Amino acid sequence: MVYSDRLRDIYGGDFVTTAIKIRDINKTYGELQALDDVNLDIKKGEFFGLLGPNGAGKSTLIGILGGLVKKDSGNVTVLGKDIIKNYRETKKSLGIVPQEITFDPYFTVRETLEIHSGYFGIKDNDQKIDELLNALSLSDKAEIGPRQLSGGMKRRLLIAKALVHDPEIIVLDEPTAGVDVELRNSLWEYVINLNNQGKTIILTTHYLEEAEALCDRIAIMNKGKIVKVDTKENLINSIDKKLIKIQFADSVQGLEDELQEINFDLNKDKREIEIETAKQDLDKILKKINRLNLDIVDMNIESAKLEDVFIKLTSLGGDDN
Amino acid sequence: MTINSITFLSLVRREVARFTKVAIQTIFAPLISTGLYLIIFSYSFQNREVAGYGVPYISFIVPGLIMMSLIQNSFANTSSSLIGAKYNGIIIDFLLAPFSYIELSLGFMIGGMVRGLLVATVTYLVSIYFYGGAIAHPFLALFFAILVSSIFSLFGIIAGLWAEKFDHVSIFSNFFITPLTFLSGVFYSVKGLPGIWSEVSLFNPVFYMVDAVRFAFIGQSDMSPYFSALVIFSLAVFLLVIVTYLFKIGYKVKS
Ligand SMILES: Nc1ncnc2c1ncn2[C@@H]1O[C@H](COP(=O)(O)OP(=O)(O)OP(=O)(O)O)[C@@H](O)[C@H]1O
Ligand SMILES: [Mg+2]
Repeated sequence: MVYSDRLRDIYGGDFVTTAIKIRDINKTYGELQALDDVNLDIKKGEFFGLLGPNGAGKSTLIGILGGLVKKDSGNVTVLGKDIIKNYRETKKSLGIVPQEITFDPYFTVRETLEIHSGYFGIKDNDQKIDELLNALSLSDKAEIGPRQLSGGMKRRLLIAKALVHDPEIIVLDEPTAGVDVELRNSLWEYVINLNNQGKTIILTTHYLEEAEALCDRIAIMNKGKIVKVDTKENLINSIDKKLIKIQFADSVQGLEDELQEINFDLNKDKREIEIETAKQDLDKILKKINRLNLDIVDMNIESAKLEDVFIKLTSLGGDDN
Repeated sequence: MTINSITFLSLVRREVARFTKVAIQTIFAPLISTGLYLIIFSYSFQNREVAGYGVPYISFIVPGLIMMSLIQNSFANTSSSLIGAKYNGIIIDFLLAPFSYIELSLGFMIGGMVRGLLVATVTYLVSIYFYGGAIAHPFLALFFAILVSSIFSLFGIIAGLWAEKFDHVSIFSNFFITPLTFLSGVFYSVKGLPGIWSEVSLFNPVFYMVDAVRFAFIGQSDMSPYFSALVIFSLAVFLLVIVTYLFKIGYKVKS
């Protein structure tokens, strides 16, 4: 990144530090407004999450980036280059893993990756291909046709295809759907490694814990709009919620009376309680419980999760906008 | 108009590899049907003459049959490659990769030409047994064959992009390619057609192709070979422009 730092010093501009700049993008499908005035900046080297419920417009936005979908208006630059005017350059900078599984039935896994390298202007790419096969645990499947691969293996082949040309920006549209836990972990290890090498990663996923664990910044989309973009920490801190879980030695008496007007959930044998509260009431509640002098076996206080933010900002939770 | 040689050649190589992997269906099957034509025509019409042509009937139809193989196989290759790519979704590979539009046009086109020319060459080799194998102007024959295969490869690209199902491709071949080919003078001389039909044939582009190749083979034709060459060449350029434009606008492949 020394080089880009130097360029930034010289030009003072942001074109080298911005991986993707999206301005005023609109896209309609007939009556449906799939993307509604979308603006977004993704910085170079970021691990960026693009989240939203089904139909939010995530794949449509990614499609525009890769030239699969025609935008109605607006413009997009990739590493400072316009995706329409300089499409050949921007396509070389992007490695997109599409959401839909596709495969070319005529070619083996290795042939597929060789052909794909060629499409991107790379000859004799064996070293990279072997590295990818290895990282994605496909080495022993290299010489067979994709029809003989399992669903999760096909998705891993899709990921390998997107990475053969060593792109600066990697876009993963639900890369882990249908991939088992162990391989998911090894995939993330590989992607984190790429991110550490300076590659920009853009991820969409419906596994919110995955996004919470991986992403630096997150955009939440809903119904074609970007409803929020912020760092993961800010998003989570924006929700004032604490969840207190307490386990008692015996079933408790009188707790209900003490906790009137507080949102809680006491289990049947009255030995476990979950209390949802705002941060400022934490002290008050704990004091009330303390007053009863109960024998506490275990206690746990959890903060808000990305999921809470997600629910709040998308139509799944009450009407927020 | 930018062409990156590795990118472009990779597409050509992919297109050629695709049909050679299923050679039984893409090369040998068409050879069998052309072989049957040769057998039938050489034995059934042994003593037939074509008005105005002082050659045996078999020598007259061999160039036509070679053209038929060329046309059908060039068309079949590009159309089935594209409809297949749309069907199994890998069409997006061509959109995500840094192909220029002219590279896409030429890459698919050359893939179709290789198959068309391959089958046509083998058809010619088989036909040597039936008529001796003489070609009056070999280089001219090759030149015309290249042009004709490019035209039908391009035509196949249009069909493949337009088609939404495999059935749609056969609409193209059943309603356009086959009638135009059969009515182009493969089996007869258009000059000998009664009344208006010989003039109607002049609007059939395939007629010029068959006629020009026949000139290259036997040194005789209905039309001037120069005029035919002009018609064929213009058509090839026209189709190349159209196909490149279709790739540019993402006709039926971008949403
Ligand atoms: N080719 C298309 N034609 C018509 N409508 C489309 C097309 N592609 C997407 N849409 C519509 O656009 C909207 C956004 O779809 P998109 O695939 O971008 O959602 P998404 O956020 O990726 O959802 P998911 O999480 O389910 O993948 C949806 O309402 C969808 O029905
Ligand atoms: Mg999607």
